[in-house]
Amino acid sequence: MVPGSLTEPTAALLDPLPAQDALIRLDRIRVSYPLKNGAQKIVLDGIDLDIHAGEFVSVIGQTGCGKSTLLRLVLGSESPAEGRVLVEGREVIRPDRDRGYVPQKYSLFPDKTVTDNITFGLEVEEFSLLTSLTPRYYRRRREFRAEALCQLAKMGLHETDATKYPDQLSGGMQQRVAIAQALVMKPKILLMDEAFSALDPGTRAGMQKLIREVWQETGTTVLFVTHNIAEAVSLATRVIVLAKNPAADGSRVALDLSTAEPDISARIEQVTGQIRCDAS
Amino acid sequence: MSLLNICAKPGRTATWTLSWLLFATGIVMYFYTAQKRHQENPDDRVVPTFAQLTSGIYQAAMNQDGDEGPSANTDGQSAFERFRHGMLWTDTVASSRRFFYGLALLFPAVLLGLHMGIFPYFGVFFLRFILFFDKIIALSVLPILFIAFGIDELSKVMLIVIGVTPTIILDTFNLTKGVPQEQLVKGFTLGASDFDVAYRVVLKQIWPRVLNSIRLNLKPLMLFLFAGEMIASTDGLAYRIALLRRHMGMNIIIPYVLWVALLLFLVDLAMRLLNRKLHPWFREA
Repeated sequence: MVPGSLTEPTAALLDPLPAQDALIRLDRIRVSYPLKNGAQKIVLDGIDLDIHAGEFVSVIGQTGCGKSTLLRLVLGSESPAEGRVLVEGREVIRPDRDRGYVPQKYSLFPDKTVTDNITFGLEVEEFSLLTSLTPRYYRRRREFRAEALCQLAKMGLHETDATKYPDQLSGGMQQRVAIAQALVMKPKILLMDEAFSALDPGTRAGMQKLIREVWQETGTTVLFVTHNIAEAVSLATRVIVLAKNPAADGSRVALDLSTAEPDISARIEQVTGQIRCDAS
Repeated sequence: MSLLNICAKPGRTATWTLSWLLFATGIVMYFYTAQKRHQENPDDRVVPTFAQLTSGIYQAAMNQDGDEGPSANTDGQSAFERFRHGMLWTDTVASSRRFFYGLALLFPAVLLGLHMGIFPYFGVFFLRFILFFDKIIALSVLPILFIAFGIDELSKVMLIVIGVTPTIILDTFNLTKGVPQEQLVKGFTLGASDFDVAYRVVLKQIWPRVLNSIRLNLKPLMLFLFAGEMIASTDGLAYRIALLRRHMGMNIIIPYVLWVALLLFLVDLAMRLLNRKLHPWFREA
């Protein structure tokens, strides 16, 4: 049997570490959407997954296999029909500041400059709508701005970019700012949904290097959704391959591999190739 | 040079000439018609001549309500004082007051639309009702408004509310719904509360488009205001136009109509400039 094939039991593929150590735990997750004809489209079914603090986990799979849905479950912007998503043992109900988010599109607030985008989180955390009119706010804002400039420098951006609006930046620069915006809040988990998909190969390589450095420096747990096998393998410490299970009409974890394993890319390609054959 | 060339790029002179051509044609045709009609009938009051218009403008600007003739009731007042107490200025002030009351009432409408778009329970509670409310022809409820609120200011302001606010509420609702979900989620992940997301993320993003929507609804707003003033008022620009219609006072009606158009154009221009100044990031589609 091919390792990670669709007929292999999911449980055998899961990380053997005990559940209490997991930072993120997905417990028997099932996600379905109602169709117009009254039937249910099952997107994820029977997903069990543990992710530990400090891991860099890539989620890969074919289009429509539920990669982004899985990320949104951890984010809290979507709820499972069955099962639970736990972060530090607490059930995830809605998005919060513990989980930073970098989507592929609309990653920055278009009405705010680069600095204002980065300081937004710091400002809303400390100042409400009303207290943002006090003199203390203006004093603190200077400090926030200094921190934003520091983050910008870390992301390889110039001080001159600080006053620009998002639509004046290239795609790569926008994603750098989005990462800075998320990291300034010091989140426990960084969730990236196809964050580099829209970038050209050169910019993409630069961004991959950057995110790897950021992860090594901060130790933040990263959940990185991509459809690029090479990217998933080169960045992550662990790769989760999601695949559609024709028998269950939903997706499941088809492979859960450490990137230290030999021939990992070939194994992933083998599984995804088999899925393509099965699907056709 | 082909006029029907999609790729054509009109030069500065062509742009200037073409954009003013219709204005010039309209003015020339008006005075030609006025001259012709006055040749046939020197007492014609339908299309006043340039001299009659000038006299009408002077009369409207310098004479108080009820004054007769171009130099009536001056009482040694300065030109500025006479202008300040003149029909045109007092009518403009009266209409502007109602106009700005109406405009101010659009802001709660914007907040309602925002809340309907952001908070699902708000949305389901109000949406169906507002959709129905929007279909009510405001002018058809005018008699009810006069009975319910009397014929003073309140009924005229209510007419504006019924006529324009549903459009603004629904427009703001749609604009709010159009903000990508990623932006809301992003706000939450940065520690924002529901109200922070509503006011500091969504409202700030949709604000320039809401201002545009209000700007495009200035004419309906003015239309409802004029309807109210024409039916039940003792002052205001529309009241004056309706009053002068009875006396065929076209030499004052035409300047009044152009004055209203100019005022609306200036408000529109001011709002556009303000929008551009306040929201440099905003690019109109």
